[in-house]
Amino acid sequence: MDQILNVLIIGLLLGGIYGLVSIGLNLIFGVVRIVNFAQGELVMLGMYGSYFAYTQFNISPYLSFLVVAPLVGLIGIVIQRFVIQPLRAESNMQIFATFGLLMMFQNIMLMVTKGEAYSIGGESSRWSLSVGELSLSVVRLIVFVAVTLITVGLHIFLNKTLTGKSIRAVTQDKLGARAMGINVERTYLLTFGIGATLAGFAGAMLTPIYSITPGVGGNFILAAFAVVVLGGLGSVWGAYLGGLIVGVVEALAGYYIDPVLRSAVWFMIFLVVLMVRPSGLLGMVGAEEVGFREQN
Amino acid sequence: MEKLQNLNVPSPLLNVQSVTKQFLGLKAVDSISLSVSQGEIVSIIGPNGAGKTTFFNLLTGQLQPTFGEINFDGKAINNLGAHERARIGMGRTFQISKPLIALNVLENVMIGAFMREPTMERAKEKAISLLRKVGLLQLAPIKAGDLTLSQRRRLEVARALALDPKIMLLDEVMAGLNQSEVSQSIDLLNQLHSEGQTFLIIEHNLKVVRAFSQRVIVLDRGCLIAQGSASEILNSPEVITAYLGEGHKWKRS
Amino acid sequence: MNKTKDAADTLSKGGTFADQAIDADSSKLIETPKSLSFKYLGCMVLLFLPVLLLARYPQWINIVAFTYLMGAVAVAWNIIGGFGGQFSLGHGVFFSIGAYMTAALFINYGLSPWITIFPIALVAGLVSVLISWPTFRLRGPFFAIATLAFNEVMFVLANHFDSLTGGPRGLMIPFKAGFANMIFTERSYYAYLMFGFAAFSVGVSVVVRYSRLGYYLLAVREDEDCARACGINVLNVKLSGMAISAMLTSMGGTLFTMYLRYIDPPTLFTMSDIGVKFALLSLIGGIGTIAGPILGAALIIPFENYLRTELSNGLPGSNLAVLGFLMVLAALFMKKGIYGLFQEKYGKANKPALPTPMSVKPGGGAT
Repeated sequence: MDQILNVLIIGLLLGGIYGLVSIGLNLIFGVVRIVNFAQGELVMLGMYGSYFAYTQFNISPYLSFLVVAPLVGLIGIVIQRFVIQPLRAESNMQIFATFGLLMMFQNIMLMVTKGEAYSIGGESSRWSLSVGELSLSVVRLIVFVAVTLITVGLHIFLNKTLTGKSIRAVTQDKLGARAMGINVERTYLLTFGIGATLAGFAGAMLTPIYSITPGVGGNFILAAFAVVVLGGLGSVWGAYLGGLIVGVVEALAGYYIDPVLRSAVWFMIFLVVLMVRPSGLLGMVGAEEVGFREQN
Repeated sequence: MEKLQNLNVPSPLLNVQSVTKQFLGLKAVDSISLSVSQGEIVSIIGPNGAGKTTFFNLLTGQLQPTFGEINFDGKAINNLGAHERARIGMGRTFQISKPLIALNVLENVMIGAFMREPTMERAKEKAISLLRKVGLLQLAPIKAGDLTLSQRRRLEVARALALDPKIMLLDEVMAGLNQSEVSQSIDLLNQLHSEGQTFLIIEHNLKVVRAFSQRVIVLDRGCLIAQGSASEILNSPEVITAYLGEGHKWKRS
Repeated sequence: MNKTKDAADTLSKGGTFADQAIDADSSKLIETPKSLSFKYLGCMVLLFLPVLLLARYPQWINIVAFTYLMGAVAVAWNIIGGFGGQFSLGHGVFFSIGAYMTAALFINYGLSPWITIFPIALVAGLVSVLISWPTFRLRGPFFAIATLAFNEVMFVLANHFDSLTGGPRGLMIPFKAGFANMIFTERSYYAYLMFGFAAFSVGVSVVVRYSRLGYYLLAVREDEDCARACGINVLNVKLSGMAISAMLTSMGGTLFTMYLRYIDPPTLFTMSDIGVKFALLSLIGGIGTIAGPILGAALIIPFENYLRTELSNGLPGSNLAVLGFLMVLAALFMKKGIYGLFQEKYGKANKPALPTPMSVKPGGGAT
């Protein structure tokens, strides 16, 4: 019984990580309606950024994110403006373009770091909290708290503020929103910026946990896609919930079957959801048009 | 409303019973029943957003009804996919015409012709004869992307005809055409009708409706609000209100 | 084609001359087997020249062989990706099926790859139908992600089932020279072999493109709803295109294995090297054209080789960074590929004059 609880906890904490990485992707998906293959690389840039701040200036990632995340956000805005926006009508070309960005980012970092893996390491990453007979890793707990706070914050932003509501309007009905006077292109820029900032933030939060290599983004991107599909496009709480479920399922599969088969787990989730309930757990109407469709 | 059909009359080609389509918050099509007999020309009119194209999509299989039954040629077709409905005789054009712009006019029609004529030679022959019928034969080698709007519409009709359809569902096939193009198109449709083709068309252009309909159906907000002959409908105050709001009258056309 | 202009003029003078002209000329409206055969042979001669010229120089053999191999598989990818519009990023799966099965059958049972290449291709075709059947209901980007996920899963499985695949250490094919083994001491033979495969692949592509399936694939690419309204079973068309594409790709994997004689998961499943490469070559060369992917291969493979040998030694990854950058540029500015640029330049000169709408009447009669 204890073992299972342990596995569950690990799964939940892992789910928090996935949720954090996916939240930006989900927003971008839902609003701009594009698949950003390079999202994992934005997380990677956030990780390198906060590592740099730590080793050069001795600033903890839990502080430096205030600068690193917006910087990544800026990169996101540039990407949206110059690469995504011109291709808005051609989803196939978007695949090429964002995949090309993925290759660029990964390999530029490879060139810069010459393939060394960086790690913050040290004691702080090994702290753990004891609750009864369970031990919880502090750094992962922080991530869990962070993703919960962000989800709540994003929910409030999207539902209570004018800007947030205009984003939701564009998500639901682009033409209608334009007719209402909402500047759709600017909304896209803003959304991509927020999504990229969240990715950068995730990177900062994950720096104490993972060792940083140029390919680390690739670790997350498939899981993130599974999370977004499971949770449902455009739903903030969906991404949160989806992350937790993917994390738990992966932990259980790893415990009972084989940890190496992680990507198979994500893929199974992805396929099953798409066949059984394509709009995801909490997805919005109109998800059909983006990537799913009624059975022929 | 229409009286019950005389039992001696053969059953209608298309029979729709209480078909409804409910999206999450919206009933796009609300319990519409209608029937079209062999050789009839029926027009569907109604203000924007009335659910006309959604209704078509339910008939041809792009959408599944939430409720209701569709019978075609004596068979219940709710479970048939869109391509199967094309095979049993439903020909259709779309509001936004999308020919294959990289291919020429002949090849575009051949794509429709392949359904009944699996070999290249026979499909080509059929396409040529259809192009001749709609008056596009001289344009056969032209890339579809280079056609004018009225030529594209004609191409769509030719492609649908290549299926040997029992009914033609035309969705605003006159939209955007000028007066002379409209009257040429009406000539073509009349010719097809005289050869026995059944039509169910969505139309905004009331001149067309007047010139080319036996029966008119009016939709508004997903409901069928009126049905009758062209002159009955176009002079009915209900319909005028639905289209233009209270206190209007049609201008003398 | 001035015939059209003449036809329009004659029409306005009143007469059905135009129709007769079209009837007599109907063979010119679409490609016939005869015209295609000529074009194909001409193309093959052009393709063969580089092999003829360069195969005698050992330093060129590798580049030539790789170019034709990758080009051939890119042509195969193009059948479903270019004609059908389904951007699969998972063709590495079929490539690796060809590679692993060929190697395993050769090493363990001594079966000649000349014999096993086709049955293995059938297996790949079957697998492609199985995995595509659920994923084809996904639109564009989601389909791409699903295929990407397949690639990743295959990678994991290949590492895991090491009794079959040699796991992370991979499989090594012993140098048992002999024509029957597809292992040549005379390296230039590989260049000819790859050319032969490219010729075969292009041939298949031509046959598909100008068949009913080819037209149906184009219709599906353009607008699926419209295709259904034409009576096309969209799913079956996609599956057929995918099966053919997968079979050719698997054959490429077979040749790859016998050429390199060493395969392991990183070699086969690195997206940038295999999975995406076929799509990239098609894009640069001209997506949806027949010879475009080979053109793309001719440009990219030697260039990439140069980058890898010159730059990568000092800066690992620089070749891929440049490739990624090219991908972004191509997607933004060169969607039709090099082939498309040619078509634009020369196509305009050949555009026939359109008859005016007024002269066209139903029934084909005169005004």
